[in-house]
Amino acid sequence: MMNQLLVRLFSPHSVAVIGASNGFDKLGYHVMKSLVGNYQGKIFPINPKGEKIWGLGSYPSLEAIPEDVDLAVIVVPAHVVPETLHACGSKGVKGIVLITAGFREIEDPGGSIREEEIREIAAQYNLPIIGPNTFGFVNLNSEVNASFTSEFSRIEKGGVAFISQSGGMCHLCGFLAIEQRVAMSILMSLGNRCNLDFPEILLHLVKDDNSTTVIALYIEGLDEPRKLLDVAKSLRGKKPIIAYKAGKSEKGDSASRFHTGSLAGNHAIWKGALRQAGILEVVSAEELLDTAKTLDACSLPGGTRIAVLSGQAGPGMIASDALEPAGLKLSNFSDATQQRINDLLPPIAIRTNPVDMGPAWYNPKNIIEILKTALEDENTDGVIFLAMYASANLKLAEGMVEYMKAVEPFQKPVIACFPAPPGIWDEPIKALDRKKGVAILPTPERAVQAMANLWKVSLFMNGKG
Amino acid sequence: MVESLLLGVEALTFLEEEGFPVLKSLLARNEDDAAYTASDLGFPVTLKISSPDVIHKTETGGIRVSLKDETEVRQAFKELVGNFTSSYPEKRLDGVIVQSQGSGLEVIVGMLMDPQFGPVLMFGLGGVFVEAMNDVVFRLIPIEASDAKDMMEELKCYKALKNPRSGPVDLTAVENFLFQFSTFITKHPEVREMDVNPLFISSPGSGVKICDARIKRHKKTE
Repeated sequence: MMNQLLVRLFSPHSVAVIGASNGFDKLGYHVMKSLVGNYQGKIFPINPKGEKIWGLGSYPSLEAIPEDVDLAVIVVPAHVVPETLHACGSKGVKGIVLITAGFREIEDPGGSIREEEIREIAAQYNLPIIGPNTFGFVNLNSEVNASFTSEFSRIEKGGVAFISQSGGMCHLCGFLAIEQRVAMSILMSLGNRCNLDFPEILLHLVKDDNSTTVIALYIEGLDEPRKLLDVAKSLRGKKPIIAYKAGKSEKGDSASRFHTGSLAGNHAIWKGALRQAGILEVVSAEELLDTAKTLDACSLPGGTRIAVLSGQAGPGMIASDALEPAGLKLSNFSDATQQRINDLLPPIAIRTNPVDMGPAWYNPKNIIEILKTALEDENTDGVIFLAMYASANLKLAEGMVEYMKAVEPFQKPVIACFPAPPGIWDEPIKALDRKKGVAILPTPERAVQAMANLWKVSLFMNGKG
Repeated sequence: MVESLLLGVEALTFLEEEGFPVLKSLLARNEDDAAYTASDLGFPVTLKISSPDVIHKTETGGIRVSLKDETEVRQAFKELVGNFTSSYPEKRLDGVIVQSQGSGLEVIVGMLMDPQFGPVLMFGLGGVFVEAMNDVVFRLIPIEASDAKDMMEELKCYKALKNPRSGPVDLTAVENFLFQFSTFITKHPEVREMDVNPLFISSPGSGVKICDARIKRHKKTE
C-alpha cells in the first residue's frame, strides 16, 4: 500500500498548493513558481481570498476542488497544519509535502507535541508525509518540482537520487549538480521524517523507481540507525548506495542533535556500520556528487589496474601519483596494446602508461583510438582520460565528439577531465559527458578518487566489501 | 536489575567455560601456592594482583611478566603483595593470579552498548601504542564471518599484520574469535559490556589467547 502511495506521491497527476500566494515574501509564492510552466499535471492553488494565483484560478479550500488531488504541498502556519491534514485525508489526497516548520526541531516542547499530533492524523488516513520542516522534493523525470526553489528544475534528468536530512545540503548539492552536470532522478529533503524516513525512501527508490541508478544520502543523526542499515543490507547489490555522514566533530555532532530534532550517533560506529551495510562512505559534498555521477554514467571496474591517458604530461603524472594512495595502480599494457599505441603516436613522447598523448594533440581520431585501445587491453580495468584546452587544440573537443558518435558504449569506466576556459568547450563537453560510459570531472585527483570509489562499490555490489 | 562485574580469574574462567581460548590462570593465596601453581602451569608465567578494587592493573604496578623459575615467582609474589598492601592499604586483596605467559601481538576486542545502535563490537590494536594510534574499528552485532575479515582489513596496521618481516600473525584465528565474540553476545543479552584486553595473537596456526577480560552483566534480582 505504502509503496503505491509513494509512486503516486513522487509522480502525481495533480498537485494542490495549500497556502499558495502572490506575495514574493511567502513560501507559497515560490512553490507556485516551481510548478507553473514546468509541471505538466494539474495545479490547484488554494487560498481563502479566492484571487488568481500565478495566473491560475484558486480554490478557497481543498473540498472546493471538483477533481482528485494526488499531492498536496502544505505551506500554512504550523497551528493550522492539523486541520489541513484532516482536510487532505477526507479529500483522499495520496501524499503530502509538509514544508511548514515549527515542529520537533524547535526548542519549545509544543513543537514535539504538535508533531506527534500530525503523526497520528497521518496514520488515521494512511497519508505519507515528506517533512515537516522540508524544502520539498524535485522529481526530474516526472518534472515535478514540489519545492520552494524553482531553479532545481535546471538539474539534468538522470539516475542520481539525492536524499538528504538537510534542506541546506540539497541546495548545496543541487546547485553543484547543475554546475557539474550531475544528472538526477530525485532531490529531496526528509525534514523531520514524520512518517517517511530513509528506510521507506530507500525501499521505494530501489524497488519502484526505475529511473534511479544510484542513491546518495546525506545523514546527520538518526534515533534508530539500525532500521536504515538493515534495509540497506537487505537491498545490497541492487543499486549502489553512498553516504555523507555529518557529525564528526563534537560541535558538529551536538549541532546535528538540534538540527532535525534527533540525537546523532558516534561517528566511529557510523563508519563501521555503513561499511557493514554495504554503503560507501564519502567525506565531502564534492566526493558524494563525483562518485554518484560516475556511478550513474560509467560501468563498474573489474579490478584496480588503471591506464592514464593524458594530452599533457603533468596532469598525467599527478593522476598517476594519486592512484596508489587511493588503492589503484597503473596497468601494464600487453605487447599488442603497446604496439597499437606506438602505431598511433609518434615516438616523441612517453608512450607507456601513463601515456603522453601530446603528439596526437591535433588528431582527435587517434586520441579516441588510443582510448579504445587502452580499454580493450586485458590488463586494464579503467581509464583516466585527460586533455587540457589550449588555443592550438581548440578543435580537439569537437573532433572527439564527432569520433565518439561511432563508438560502442564502453564496458569499462572512463573518467575524463577536459579543463577549458568557461564558454569555449562547453558544448562539446556537454555532448561527451555521461555518454557511452564516460564521466567528466574537474580535476585528475577527483577523477582518481571517483575511480577508486567505483572499485569499492564494485566490491560492495558483489558482496566482497 | 543489578549489575555485576566479572574480573580476573572469574572472568577468564567464565569465558573458558563459554568456549573461548584463554591463557591458563589460577589464583594463588600465598607464596607456596604461587610457586606450586607456576611449576604446574609451566614456565614462563605472569603474576598479577587480584583485587576487586583494581580494574587497571598496570596503573597500580600490579604485574610481573616472564618469570622463568620458582625463585623468580617467589620473589615476584613477595614484591607484588608488599607493594600493594603498603601503597593501597584501603584496597582488598584476593591474592595473586598466576598465568601462563602470553606472547604475540596484543589486540583489544570489546562490546559496548550504544544508546542508538545497541550492541557494538570494537576491535583494535592493543598494547602501549593503542591511544597514540587510535587504530580501532566498529561493527554492529551480530556480524557475519565476512565482516570479521573486513574489520581486520580496515585497521590502519593491517599491512603490518600481513607483513612476514614484522612476523605474520594468525589472522584466521582472529576472524574466528571476532565471530565467536559476536555470537556469544547475541546469545547472552545479560552481558551489557565486555572487554578482552589484551588478546594475544600468535603466529599462523597458533591461535589467539585471552589474557585478561572484564564483563559487566545485568542480573535479575531475587
